[in-house]
Amino acid sequence: MSPLRVSTAPSRQPARADRGPADGARRRWVLTRLDNRVTPFLFIAPFFVLFTVFGVFPLLYTAWVSLHDWQLIDGDQGFVGLANYAKLFADPDFYNALFNTMSIFLLSTVPQLLAALGIAALLDRPLRAGTVWRAGVLLPNVVSVVAVALVFGQLFARDFGVVNWVLGLVGVDPVDWGAQRLPSHVAIATMVIWRWTGYNSLLYLAAMRNVPRELYEAAALDGASRWRSFWSVTVPGIRPTIIFTVVVSTIGGLQLFAEPQLFDASGTAGVGGSDRQFQTVTMYLYEKGFGLFDAGYAAAIAWVLFVVCVLSALVNFWLARRIRAGG
Amino acid sequence: MTRRRSLWSVLAVTTALAVVLGGCAGGGADSGKIVIKVATFGEFGYEPLFAEYEAQHPNIHLEAQVSDFEAHHKGLATALAGGHGAADVVAVEEQYMPQFMQSKDKFVNLADFGAQDLKSQWSDWKWAQGVSKDGSFVLGLGTDMGGLATCYRRDLFARAGLPTDRAEVARLWPTWEDYARVADRFSAAVPDVKFADSAGSIYTAILNQSEENFFAKADDSFIADHNPNLRRAFDIAGGIAAKGQTARVTTYTQAWNVAVKQGTFATMNCPAWMLEQIRSAGGDANAGKWDVTTVPGNSGSQGGSFLTVPKQGAHPREAYDVAKWLTAPEQQKRIFLQSGSLPSAPAAYKDPAVIGKTDPYFSNAPVGQIYATSADTLRPNYRGTKDSVVRPKFGQALGRVEEGKQTVDQAWAEAVQQARDALK
Repeated sequence: MSPLRVSTAPSRQPARADRGPADGARRRWVLTRLDNRVTPFLFIAPFFVLFTVFGVFPLLYTAWVSLHDWQLIDGDQGFVGLANYAKLFADPDFYNALFNTMSIFLLSTVPQLLAALGIAALLDRPLRAGTVWRAGVLLPNVVSVVAVALVFGQLFARDFGVVNWVLGLVGVDPVDWGAQRLPSHVAIATMVIWRWTGYNSLLYLAAMRNVPRELYEAAALDGASRWRSFWSVTVPGIRPTIIFTVVVSTIGGLQLFAEPQLFDASGTAGVGGSDRQFQTVTMYLYEKGFGLFDAGYAAAIAWVLFVVCVLSALVNFWLARRIRAGG
Repeated sequence: MTRRRSLWSVLAVTTALAVVLGGCAGGGADSGKIVIKVATFGEFGYEPLFAEYEAQHPNIHLEAQVSDFEAHHKGLATALAGGHGAADVVAVEEQYMPQFMQSKDKFVNLADFGAQDLKSQWSDWKWAQGVSKDGSFVLGLGTDMGGLATCYRRDLFARAGLPTDRAEVARLWPTWEDYARVADRFSAAVPDVKFADSAGSIYTAILNQSEENFFAKADDSFIADHNPNLRRAFDIAGGIAAKGQTARVTTYTQAWNVAVKQGTFATMNCPAWMLEQIRSAGGDANAGKWDVTTVPGNSGSQGGSFLTVPKQGAHPREAYDVAKWLTAPEQQKRIFLQSGSLPSAPAAYKDPAVIGKTDPYFSNAPVGQIYATSADTLRPNYRGTKDSVVRPKFGQALGRVEEGKQTVDQAWAEAVQQARDALK
């Protein structure tokens, strides 16, 4: 709101200055003009300063590091150009990590956003003690990720885990959650789903509140069922929010670290299972950078991950726009 | 969103201020004391000694920083890389010593303060682990060492019809091959309990009894593919794993704590520092169920640390004095009596008070005598500079055997291949 008002101000000032040619007035005019021009930038400057210090600089510095043989402790050991990237693109462990990341991302994000949509639709209806429910769905998100990972690690434990116990009640053999690829991905995805579903459903709920009520009335008059009006009125009405959550979840999902790291039965020094069956890209970065002290290689991984994030965000965006156009 | 961000910036600014102001206060303009931070991991048992040191040195204030094993060493590496943030005195575990030795210009050469005069305090091998190859650079002063023994559950052995007396148990397994045979007997009698905690820990214990593991002592070359000791360790541990006789829990992890508490396995190779971990994992309910006896193969060391002084500290001389005092035989002895970390100074582990120590939690086992004997007979092993790159590949391979994904031979072949690739 304020930028608009500020931008109209300069056009008014010169007119007044023309009428008063005195020196004092001119100086005041210069100062006012300066004030109008510079002050807005000063107000937003802290963000850009912080963004430069904590965003742009590390990004560029990481790029610089990735072009060197760089040991974590000893630093620069010489320029190697794109050698780290060349090695990375021929590294089967990297593709394994990328595949795991994508798999866990899909297993967690798709059910998570669908569930969030459903929960939001339920919360959008008149409810007794609605605030309690609405605050309640956010609770899992407030719990520390380390606590979540530890608790779920116990739930999914091989020998004394609750999940295997429940499966046993319905006659399913115990699953060795950490040992096989798919079960481990499911277990980790469950932690992510548990943590973020409530958060996303609150975002959806906020958006649903802004869908014009007349549309529902019109739909009801046309004889639409509740289900039909949900898909034809609510979902199109909150499409920008859906796009936003998809983009945010994608970026979060691609950077998944704490849950799989703490899920490893061989401790925090592990690499995501005995066969790297649930090592994500960020875990691989951690292994290279902080386990083997190869900062150059880790920086290359970081940059590739950054590019993958940007590309997926773009693809998401493009897909979402196409869906809107199609709908 | 904005609300949250502004809250964060307030928090950030406050924290920054607190750090700056706290730093000033810590510098001691008001107290006039020099603050020496001592960073350790796990249980070193130093805190009770700090008050005494401060009483003897009124100008020094000691501050303890304790974190977990991985976080501690990775934090040290990051602090060295960043140029600040490391404590004044930092403990380094022996497996990390070769890695940090390569960056010794980031550490104070303790020889500059006269550390060479202390050399006779330690066993030769312990001293050698803490200094550069030519002996001129002293990176760290030895603290404890990980003399090996085997801990076993008396009650479970009784159920399996095996002897429970520690001398008789020791006679059951003079070698690791015998240990594997006892595993078979045990598992046949008590199928619902595993014999050992993990294949990895059996394998590590056997490796720690041979002089060379993955790299040749003479020239640091890769010998894992044709070192018979390594293959033997892998085959014995892998064989026990393939038969499903391990509980598949890694020391230090939550699962390991649960397994100790529930008594799901009967034996584990326990370096001296591990007794404390077993005690806290098992709790009072398991007091008197465990006992300690000699390890198959009869000796070996696993773990053991050094105190180093990073260069970035403001008071290297005072830091050295603290490290020197904490690692002196007298203090090592007291630490053993209090918390059970085995001294690396012969004068300390040969002390009658140390040798005479028994542990009620472990059925009054003469832990002092057991560990002192293992310390006297142990042969230290050589770790190559790339040890930390190669070692995990073999541990993961054993994990695949435990999980039933691969046979011992397949796992071995893959580990050797991975190790070769990693060294390229």
